[in-house]
Amino acid sequence: MMKTFAPLLHSYWYLFRGAGMTLLMAAASVVPATLLGGALALVHVFGRRTARSALQVYLFVVRGIPLLVLLTFVYYLLPLTGIDLPPFWGVVVVMSLYYAAFMSEVFRAGIESLPQAQWDAARSLGMQRHLLLRIIIFPQALRLAAPPFVSLCANLVKATSLVSIVGLWELTMASREVVERTLAPFQIFLGAALIYFCICYTMALYGRFLERRSLVGH
Amino acid sequence: MLAMTGVVKSFGTNQVLRGVSLSVAAGEAVVVIGPSGSGKTTLLRCINLLEDYEQGTVTVDGMPIGYRIDPRGGQRVRMSEREIAAAREMIGIVFQSYNLFPHMTVLQNIVAAPIRVKGVPRAKAEARARDLLALVGLSDKAQEYPVRLSGGQQQRVAIARALAMDPKLMLFDEVTSALDPELVGEVLAAMQQLARDGMTMVVVTHEMSFARDVADRIVFMEGGVIVEEGQPEQMFAAPKTERVRQFLKRYNDRYRI
Amino acid sequence: MPFDLHFIVRLIPALLQGAEITVALAVLTVVICLVWGLLVALAQSRGGVLSWIAGGYIQAVRNTPLLIQLYIIYFGFAMAGFPLSGFLSGLLALCIQNGGYVAEIYRGGLQSVSQRQYEAGRALGMRRWTLYTVVIMPQVVARVIPPMTNQAISIIKDTSQVAAIAVMEMMKVAEVWVESSANTYDVFLGVALIYLVLTSVAGLIGKVAERQLAFAQ
Repeated sequence: MMKTFAPLLHSYWYLFRGAGMTLLMAAASVVPATLLGGALALVHVFGRRTARSALQVYLFVVRGIPLLVLLTFVYYLLPLTGIDLPPFWGVVVVMSLYYAAFMSEVFRAGIESLPQAQWDAARSLGMQRHLLLRIIIFPQALRLAAPPFVSLCANLVKATSLVSIVGLWELTMASREVVERTLAPFQIFLGAALIYFCICYTMALYGRFLERRSLVGH
Repeated sequence: MLAMTGVVKSFGTNQVLRGVSLSVAAGEAVVVIGPSGSGKTTLLRCINLLEDYEQGTVTVDGMPIGYRIDPRGGQRVRMSEREIAAAREMIGIVFQSYNLFPHMTVLQNIVAAPIRVKGVPRAKAEARARDLLALVGLSDKAQEYPVRLSGGQQQRVAIARALAMDPKLMLFDEVTSALDPELVGEVLAAMQQLARDGMTMVVVTHEMSFARDVADRIVFMEGGVIVEEGQPEQMFAAPKTERVRQFLKRYNDRYRI
Repeated sequence: MPFDLHFIVRLIPALLQGAEITVALAVLTVVICLVWGLLVALAQSRGGVLSWIAGGYIQAVRNTPLLIQLYIIYFGFAMAGFPLSGFLSGLLALCIQNGGYVAEIYRGGLQSVSQRQYEAGRALGMRRWTLYTVVIMPQVVARVIPPMTNQAISIIKDTSQVAAIAVMEMMKVAEVWVESSANTYDVFLGVALIYLVLTSVAGLIGKVAERQLAFAQ
């Protein structure tokens, strides 16, 4: 048993470093994606018709094209445009723009699922839009949106594996390198899968915890 | 205190209010009764502009709310969001589904608007909130979240929350319809106390005994118009309109086969 | 319009050939997963060891990237002496991962049917098979169509990852063309367009299915 997994035991530290890069990439993408997603959700719910139509087009395109396609083409296009951006940040930009779309839908669902009655009650007490959104609507909407949001973050972590196809280094690329060296694909990729599992399953458990908690107050 | 003139409201092609005029004097308790779909709830919601309406005006204490008549041209102008919000502070409303803010404690529910909208200092707002909780008999629930309270308790908190803004007029929209029968009494008792203390109120309800006991005046609505109004003893004993007589007869005879 | 028409005329047939593979992979995956996912969901609802295994399987495939699963299958089998074609490896990986997601969709659908439906059926004297086929599953099917449509769209997009093991589906074809022609922009437009068409068609099919099968929901 130990002999078959020897290659993994020799290289796990390299894989951990890959995982570190994976997490770095994911973290760097999550922040802009969340901010942009929140802004887009506000546009979707409160914006004017032209802004909303533009947003619909953006959402349609982003949700209909594979992330890999976008990553690949940005990777090839970027040098041609003359923008001097390190590939890491190019990837971060693409993934942020991609996941912002999904996050905006999650936030929008959170806002829209609040009963009209909450708006009525707050307005009846004399609250105006900004106050009402800030202390009544957004706190509740965020609580509702938190579990699917965590799920999206886990998807983002898994999606970082795609950058290995365009040649960027993270956990999947690291495991490919080790496999080429050790010719033990089964063990090494299984080890990488285990690392991804630990990260994503933890997030899934946190998401379930949030889901149970959000039901208590409602 | 409250004057509604010629209010017309349609939902699409359905005209729910066909020119309703109602006035309520200061300190008066008016109860609105009538069959479902008569427009009672819509009427209430038009008062503090939770619903827009196509024609008519509403004034509270002489001040228009929602729409005002432009003195220069005479046309009906919708007031700004800020003006409407300010006018809403004068009116308190309690809903059928209580509508408490579930992410705040009872105390926070009551003080949120006074602190943030009127700028009342926190200490003063909390003291007043505790007085109101005592008034509705829930002093020990200040730190609880709404989900832990019964329907009747939540509704009483909703009353306290509305009162915390010191409204001149209180509106009650079928506030006991969603409650278990045993919890209805405590809410009606709170409302009765308010009426005795001189609050101007408009109450939409199905509770006929409450109407008879508490109302200074009863208004019967059907099909978007006020059919009859009068003193409770007179209306219950000898209604002037046939339709009202039928409605009350069904109530009086409700257990006869 | 800033694109090269002659180039695109030569490009499209090549892309469409890749699209054939894409569609083949996607359709096969959807069909297989509809059955496989149902089996997993039923296994999970039975309880006992089977439920534990099914649950573990679902968590394992949901929390690992498709690409890793793809590599495990493709390189693993090759190293073990039974090399699988890229297409087959891709199909296997897609089915294994999406089987987990589809099982979760079925589970949500089964749970959303109220306990009272079971009681009503039993009270009328129905036995298990009739109960499930006549009362429960039709309601499950109706509730399950929207998330299944989303999953199908997701599957179409995931087929692009099979390019990593050199299967000539659309993404790989596009990559080859980009490298040989240096005309990144037009290739991207073509690929994006065809993917949008494919996912839109899938969405439309889903909406039609919803209308036809979702009676009185």
